[in-house]
Amino acid sequence: MTMSTNDTCLDLRGLKLAFGTQRVLDGLDWSLPAGRVVGLLGRNGAGKTTLIEALLGLREPDAGTALLFGQPSQALPDDVRARIGYVPQRSDLFEWLTADQLLAYFRSFYPRWNTAKVDGLMSRWDIARDKPVGKLSGGQQQRLSIIRALAHEPDLLVLDEPVASLDPAGRREFLAELVEQVVDRHTAVVFSTHILSDLERVAVDVAFLTGGRIALHAPLDELLESSVRLGGAPADIERFVKQYRLHPLSRDARAPVIARGIDAAVMPPATPAVSVDAVTLEELFLALTA
Amino acid sequence: MTDPSLFSVVAGSAEPIYRQLVAQVRRCVAGGQLKAGDELPSVRELAQALSVNPMTVSKAFGLLEAEGLVTRRRGLAMVIAEQHRRAQPTADRIDLLRPTLERAAQEVQQLQLPAAQAVALFKTILNEQGRE
Repeated sequence: MTMSTNDTCLDLRGLKLAFGTQRVLDGLDWSLPAGRVVGLLGRNGAGKTTLIEALLGLREPDAGTALLFGQPSQALPDDVRARIGYVPQRSDLFEWLTADQLLAYFRSFYPRWNTAKVDGLMSRWDIARDKPVGKLSGGQQQRLSIIRALAHEPDLLVLDEPVASLDPAGRREFLAELVEQVVDRHTAVVFSTHILSDLERVAVDVAFLTGGRIALHAPLDELLESSVRLGGAPADIERFVKQYRLHPLSRDARAPVIARGIDAAVMPPATPAVSVDAVTLEELFLALTA
Repeated sequence: MTDPSLFSVVAGSAEPIYRQLVAQVRRCVAGGQLKAGDELPSVRELAQALSVNPMTVSKAFGLLEAEGLVTRRRGLAMVIAEQHRRAQPTADRIDLLRPTLERAAQEVQQLQLPAAQAVALFKTILNEQGRE
């Protein structure tokens, strides 16, 4: 594998992007070290797809900079472009070509192309090679899109809801393939999905997009271990939060109070007035994206 | 080598995946299913078998090594450490089970189920799993 001279594969500074009066990205900063798998989480309409398109240089931001492997995404040199794989939310494949023609077409753009991997996945995932892509099912098109993104062995893989059309068995096969990539090539992955259980298996980090910014980016294990759900009367909870110097993560006053401690090793003990329970990723998602 | 199917993980739990793996190895060693010299699957094999990030498996193995449950053999294979030759005494194993049952007991309480019925259900489940 070619190592980049710097260890950051993705670096976004002050990204702003609005559709009319609607500010989707609002001064967003985000960076990702090489070889890291991060889950990008946000509610519907939070702007995940816009963020992904902006970071890939497919959409011009109103302000800010987006760098991929140290190069501006809007003007990527070919050698950097070849290090990136992308599975868009909606299939962008040419529907009139057959799967074979399509792969041959994309192959011509890349210096590297793993034919053995492509052939293996095409037969394992049972994709008809000589049918027009438009005639394939949604799930098959998504699989083909995944194969296309993996074929040139990218160092950064960007996945926008890659499994939305796949059934649980298909998702499991996809996850196995993703793990294979990470094991073999230390591929960095940005993975946007609503299926939290998939994310938990493969993501080391999670990043929450809300209000046009990355509200929090942290290792998932650390976040689960340092966060608690507090129960009790609001005044008691407030006192408890102060006493243990916890950071409340939920902003919705009616939602359960989820708070994060400074040190994962020191979980505060429950008191008769305040209950303290462990939280799941789903609870964190609800609290952080409210 | 130990079959990777000895391990399993559940997503959606408050317990991080690496902790689930650590707890499973701890229980298998306590129960004598894994003994001194038994080799664990490699990080790669286990990551692939469970479809989890290899860094998560590495983290679990690192913790097990720090606890002295496993040692790293040349060539990077992890083996169960020398001192774990036989299953731990029953009393110690019971202690390991207690927290799980305490949680279950709390749920029985919340559901207001009669103790006898909860115990009967537990027996049924044990029998079902024993037959598998």
